[in-house]
Amino acid sequence: MSSIGTGYDLSASTFSPDGRVFQVEYAMKAVENSSTAIGIRCKDGIVFGVEKLVLSKLYEEGSNKRIFNIDRHVGMAVAGLLADARSLAEVAREEASNFRSNYGHDIPLKHLSDRVAMYVHAYTLYSAVRPFGCSFILGSYDKDDGAQLYMVDPSGISYGYWGCAIGKAKQAAKTEIEKLQVRRLYSRQKQKLKLIYIVHDEVKDKAFELELSWVGDVTNGRHELVPKDVKEEAEKYAKVRLYETECSEFYNSCETAGPPASMLGVRSVLQVVCGKRCCRRSTWTCFLFQDSLEEEDDSDEDNM
Amino acid sequence: MSRGSNAGFDRHITIFSPEGRLYQVEYAFKAISQSGLTSIGVRGSDSVVVVTQKKVPDKLLDSSTVTNMFHLTPRIGCVMTGHNADSRSQVHRARVEAGEWKYKFGYDITADVLCRRLADISQVYTQNAEMRPLGCCMILVAMDPQHGPVLYKCDPAGYYCGFRATAVGAKQTEANSYLEKKLKKKPELSHDRAVQMAISCLASVLSMDFKASELEIGVVTKDKPKFRTLSEAEIEVHLVAIAERE
Repeated sequence: MSSIGTGYDLSASTFSPDGRVFQVEYAMKAVENSSTAIGIRCKDGIVFGVEKLVLSKLYEEGSNKRIFNIDRHVGMAVAGLLADARSLAEVAREEASNFRSNYGHDIPLKHLSDRVAMYVHAYTLYSAVRPFGCSFILGSYDKDDGAQLYMVDPSGISYGYWGCAIGKAKQAAKTEIEKLQVRRLYSRQKQKLKLIYIVHDEVKDKAFELELSWVGDVTNGRHELVPKDVKEEAEKYAKVRLYETECSEFYNSCETAGPPASMLGVRSVLQVVCGKRCCRRSTWTCFLFQDSLEEEDDSDEDNM
Repeated sequence: MSRGSNAGFDRHITIFSPEGRLYQVEYAFKAISQSGLTSIGVRGSDSVVVVTQKKVPDKLLDSSTVTNMFHLTPRIGCVMTGHNADSRSQVHRARVEAGEWKYKFGYDITADVLCRRLADISQVYTQNAEMRPLGCCMILVAMDPQHGPVLYKCDPAGYYCGFRATAVGAKQTEANSYLEKKLKKKPELSHDRAVQMAISCLASVLSMDFKASELEIGVVTKDKPKFRTLSEAEIEVHLVAIAERE
């Protein structure tokens, strides 16, 4: 059935002839335009990673946060329209605070995510307002329930996840997370931080800042930004592993496709092999391989 | 069918079309099939059963949080079909209504009254231009203290009715004809037979053999009048029984 968007997509209070609410679907597209955010649930905690694209050199490091603290034990990573996300973070904080003043203890994450999801859903019912253009991932850790991770999207639906990704590179991120088999991991393990780095790298844009936060046993149940030394260690490890993966992929491609005849060929092979990597990385790896390729260049000249 | 006089908004908000139809309400029904799931409810002689498919599309999803069966009160349960977010909202509203009734009158609300209340709320959405009907349908099951096992369905148009058996969702027409055939002779259904009939209906309409993890079953019986969902082991028992009968 063709989706007749025109005319039925002007307000959230209109169904299209095939039963879809287009405004909500458009809101989800707004999320897909933003840079990626990832949340991973492991045995003893949650790790969030958000890729913040650096648009200007005047940008101050550490400002413009995309990970919020909702109460001491809950963290929220967002993707989509940041202004909408900030107002939802306020809503989540109020919910958590009201719960604490009514019942005297930390809000359980399922309850919080249900409440915020219903708030988001309410904005998909009326023509006077538009749906929120952001998705977010909520995560918390406590001794009784363990680690929990929920994702809420603009339609107002919330589900629990073992690992989830929102934003531009979400498909690639999900594949990588599945490969990791997150259920068996512990928070500190570097593989996970490496994964965030890999996935964040799979975009065309050159410069980005990585915001990492965690909540778990290591932080005694408090949601905090990952300390600088751990983060740097992880980044170094991630870059090394990333380089190794690219090398092996390059070798594999050479075996199947034959060595490229020129520098340009190398560059293009790398770009094909590594997907949309940033140019900087490609040139760097090219440089290292040039020596090993020069002998093969001569043999191929006849064929060219 | 001249549409010159109206401004053409009859398809956009809940006003009447020149033929007297409410297009937005009809589109809301189509939204129920969008989710791709089908749910069946069957009332036996001393129990009621609701069965629905459980699809967990993403490996990373925590499947224990994916469910379409909800408790509205300890004795009334429901299965929701259609748009997920709208379903949650309606369940929440139902719980609020049930809670307020208990607070005001001191006794538990019955399924028919709750269903009527939700239907009235859904009707309001079909009369206000500013809001849209919810794209979901609720099948309520309960053990009524006076009438025994009851099965009610409440749809986006604000219509509700009690049923001996009903189906909602993507394959509802086929499922409804299957159920009509099987229940034509008004057989007496024991609890096990009711469960197995619901499962077989779903299996035949969708032409697939189910595993226990692909189904969600909720029951209310005379001996255990509280609404509960069956565990995978119990579902497996019923699936085996169906296989042996064939």
